[in-house]
Amino acid sequence: MALFAQLLANGLGNGSFYALLGLGFGLIFTTTRIVHFAYGPVYAISAFAAWSGGALLGLPLAVSVIFAPVAAAVAGAAIYWFGYRPFERRGMSSHSILILSLGLSIILESGLTLIFGPSIHTWPDFSPPIFIFGPVFVTGLQIAEAVALALVAVALLLFLRGTRYGKAILALSDNRDMARIVGIDTDIVSLIVFALASAIAAVASVFTMLNEGATPTMGFYPVFVAFVVAVVGGLGSIPGSIAGGYLVGLVESLGLWKIPTGWQNSIAFVLLFVVLLVRPQGLFAGMRR
Amino acid sequence: MPKGITRRKATSLLAAAPALWNAPAALAADPPVFRIGALLGLTDKANWNATVMQRGITMAVDEINAKGGIDGIKVEAAIEDHQGVPRVGVDALQRLRARYDIQAVLLSYSTVALASAPICEENKIFMMDGGSVSDALVGKFSYLFHNRAVASVLARAALSIPKQQNMKKMAVMAASTDEGQSLLRLSQADWKAYGGEIVEIEQALATASNIDTQIAKLRTSNPDFLAVWEFSPGPGLVLKRAREFGMKQPIIGVEYTAEIAKVAGQYAEGFQFASDYFNPNVDDAWPKQFAASYRAKYGADPEVYAANYYEGIYVIAELIRRARAAGKAYTGEALRTALLANPKVPSVYGGNLVFNPDGSCLKRVGIFSVKDGKAGFQHFAELA
Repeated sequence: MALFAQLLANGLGNGSFYALLGLGFGLIFTTTRIVHFAYGPVYAISAFAAWSGGALLGLPLAVSVIFAPVAAAVAGAAIYWFGYRPFERRGMSSHSILILSLGLSIILESGLTLIFGPSIHTWPDFSPPIFIFGPVFVTGLQIAEAVALALVAVALLLFLRGTRYGKAILALSDNRDMARIVGIDTDIVSLIVFALASAIAAVASVFTMLNEGATPTMGFYPVFVAFVVAVVGGLGSIPGSIAGGYLVGLVESLGLWKIPTGWQNSIAFVLLFVVLLVRPQGLFAGMRR
Repeated sequence: MPKGITRRKATSLLAAAPALWNAPAALAADPPVFRIGALLGLTDKANWNATVMQRGITMAVDEINAKGGIDGIKVEAAIEDHQGVPRVGVDALQRLRARYDIQAVLLSYSTVALASAPICEENKIFMMDGGSVSDALVGKFSYLFHNRAVASVLARAALSIPKQQNMKKMAVMAASTDEGQSLLRLSQADWKAYGGEIVEIEQALATASNIDTQIAKLRTSNPDFLAVWEFSPGPGLVLKRAREFGMKQPIIGVEYTAEIAKVAGQYAEGFQFASDYFNPNVDDAWPKQFAASYRAKYGADPEVYAANYYEGIYVIAELIRRARAAGKAYTGEALRTALLANPKVPSVYGGNLVFNPDGSCLKRVGIFSVKDGKAGFQHFAELA
């Protein structure tokens, strides 16, 4: 029972992290229909931005972490404006854009490797507090991830429902052509979506940097998890992305209770396969934003 | 005096005669440079090791050339990136063959070495591997030699630590790589033969960032110690998460690098591991000089990978000298013959490196303990 309780706590901790990843990825896909694989390097860029604040500028952690969403937002917006948009305007198919996103991902990863080198960049002497609840150990980072998710989700909901650009994003995700007909500047709204979603990914990225360090390839696996979470939860649904994140986290953790952990990386994709088979629109697609 | 030979030319020839007398005869098949290939994971996800390997190779080549090369012929390293992917490694090897007709190559990364070795074997290319530890590479290829202790030796050496403390219950965290699985397989056999019990075995990808489930299961198994059969940077995260999740048992492994230290931070304290022992402070002149040069150039102490690949170049250079002294041209076959004729080669670790007929080497394995973030040598492992 102690093991089950620990796995449950781990699953919830990882679920918060996965939900953050899924929120950003889902927002981009729903609004722009772009499968944004360059989300991975943007995730890495934000981690390096936070790391640079401390290591290169000597700033404290509380200040350095602000660099992460800022750098991610700029990188995400630039990728859309200079990477995807010119090709969209030429009427390239979604398949070509998908290939383009993979190419961008490789280029950006290589660029990061050239700038920062391949090795791990850690935040020195960072050690989160540990909380012990009976047989369950929870790290301060796991709690911080849950708090960050709650804050991001609430802020995103308020932005989408309460601001002009937020409503434009919702309109775009409902029907891009109709949104254009009624006068919404889809280019600008897409730009905002890329900046916003990249900043959300940066929140998750900072936790990874603090936990295990930053590397140029650190976004490789998270981008796939983000894809799984967004699809499982239901593309375009904020509650769905959160529920999807927790579901993937719990299934990944509790699913390995009795089976060998060598299957760890397959479990999320088995879940994706099952969901696509029985409910392709996502488990929580009915829960609108 | 015949036309065409001036007095000055004749004087020069006479002056050079003693040197020509002492130098090995130039072989008709001498290449313009002795080119040695190297397959390194320069852009692999865990590519820090490749960086120090490259440093070691570059240093050795520069040193040899600064002393006039091998019998007056320069040495050159042709380094290719295998990205940690066997298919890419094979392509890189074929490039080296096509461009340079390479006769000797330094390999790294077990899976890449396993894919590349059959091609080298077929084409009689001499192979030296200072990085891979997989036992799947030992005794299978007649042109492949290891200047690193392989898995069977490392596992036994690491397990000598809990054996000395009469521990019985082992839990294992192993990487899902060829090296990790080799260590797992050999340690299971060794631990069972000792009469110990294996209470839990967990596995993860070498680059996995989420190992919380594995750590929870390892902790619940309540072992006497945890064995980490992973290589850099994997053990760093295992150490960190195991301690964060309340595991107080001793943790043993087979590697401790700067990358592991960075990730583990304070949780590396007390980590014990078995490894090839490169001691930069030993009294022998060569290790001292290598360590000093390396520090001066890169601002850090050389680690095992730097030392092994530096040594690998010197081993091949020594074999080229021996082959030439025997009147043989630079071929993989000639290098292999030279090594089998005399398996003792000077080692940057001090003394000689002795190769076994199966391609493995006799190299002392040290037991280390981490204190204040630094690995301190404890003693040499007793491997009866």
